[in-house]
Amino acid sequence: MTTLLVLLLLAVGVYCVAVLEAWITSGRFRLAAPAYSAMALLGRESNIPRKPDLLFFEVGPVVLLVAALLAAAVIPLSPDLIITDLATGALFLNAALAYVLVALIMAGWGPNGAYAMIGGWRFLGQLVAYAMLIVMPITAVAMRAESLATTDIVVSQAGLWNIVYQPLGFILFFVAAMGLAFLPPFDLPTAKGELAGGVEAEYSGVRLAVFRLGRMVLVITLAAATVTFYLGGWQGPWLAPWLWSAVKILLVTAVMLLIGRYVPRIREAHLLAWCWKLGIPLALLNIFMVGILLVVIP
Amino acid sequence: MITGQSIFIGFFGVAAVWFGIVVFRTFSMVRSAIALLFSQTALGAMFLTMQAEFLGVLQIMMMATEMSIMAFFMVMFMMDPGGMGKMEMTHQKRLSLIVGLVSFVGAVAIAVFIDWGPVATTVADTAQQTKALGLELLGRSMLVFEMAGVTILTAMIAATSVAIQPLPLSAIKHKKDRV
Repeated sequence: MTTLLVLLLLAVGVYCVAVLEAWITSGRFRLAAPAYSAMALLGRESNIPRKPDLLFFEVGPVVLLVAALLAAAVIPLSPDLIITDLATGALFLNAALAYVLVALIMAGWGPNGAYAMIGGWRFLGQLVAYAMLIVMPITAVAMRAESLATTDIVVSQAGLWNIVYQPLGFILFFVAAMGLAFLPPFDLPTAKGELAGGVEAEYSGVRLAVFRLGRMVLVITLAAATVTFYLGGWQGPWLAPWLWSAVKILLVTAVMLLIGRYVPRIREAHLLAWCWKLGIPLALLNIFMVGILLVVIP
Repeated sequence: MITGQSIFIGFFGVAAVWFGIVVFRTFSMVRSAIALLFSQTALGAMFLTMQAEFLGVLQIMMMATEMSIMAFFMVMFMMDPGGMGKMEMTHQKRLSLIVGLVSFVGAVAIAVFIDWGPVATTVADTAQQTKALGLELLGRSMLVFEMAGVTILTAMIAATSVAIQPLPLSAIKHKKDRV
């Protein structure tokens, strides 16, 4: 029952993200647009390119969707509204999200096309940049909660949200999460105008619909993870806990999309350089500072 | 006694071996790497079935990135990475077959004949397991893990430096001028 309810909320959330994305990128607020484009994608022919690695081509988008859904399974929308409250939830979230990379490599390699393949391998480079900045801030969050369970992490923020307690970690995690979801300005694997859609380039029809759906679920899962780790999860006055989660998740998503609207696409080499030379030392500093804070203010 | 747990362990064990075989049955280097990934993921699933949650999740997480990076290296180094030319890329087949069989028999012999002591009937809860693992890694096993880590890092740096084509001196000078 809980699973069904969470999946339903996720579906509503994905629809909202699609409306938001269209609103922010095109400037037009149209509630029915995602439904129309879904119908159009499902109605169109789904082409198969010449000499593909058919297994990878078919499985890639599905793996993306499954990885994002599995990651969503450990996100608590309220104390009871969680699919599975694992004791290693924060680590499980990482494990599931690691398969986003596998999905993109499969989808990039499968169609036997140059743009798609470059897109897939680009995401591998992107992972080398963002991976540490996902894991190290989560380490600091788990240090404060003294637990890897996501519900414990939310409860640990009852007095003070982590965005105030460890703002540096929040900024790093937020940027890395945008990199993981390949949202602009980190949309290197799908780079429109430069790679002609990259990983998406050879997909059409229902396969493209699955890919886009997977990506939307990924975006909302990462926004939900940001809310869980840094914005106090379901906590807040007056409203019901699940409603607080929903409001916060949509706000974080909107901010992510808005940043992408106004910041130009970053170059892969620059991304790697910034993440490794600046991001990782800052993430270590964050862990160090949280360690000291924990001793000073228990 | 056959329980649901042992059936799942058997299933994931067979899956791990099967994907291990697929690694050598395909011509495509990327398929080979991804097959190895799923073999390792099946091992992670075995850990999960044995209620070692932290180890299982860690295994599943680490292998995804490691095997993807390995796929990239294989595409860089191999002459026919897509396997479309059906190029033969194995060598010393008899030797590797013998080594493989001997190690397999050795591993089975160790598993069967060693005295494992009394079988644990209860499992500590996950948080306790994670704590024990952390104390072990930062305690008596620290040296072993640090040695392994440094060895792997050295091998990676060595492999990359071997792969880079040395530039002629004139090209380096030219580069310096440009900078």
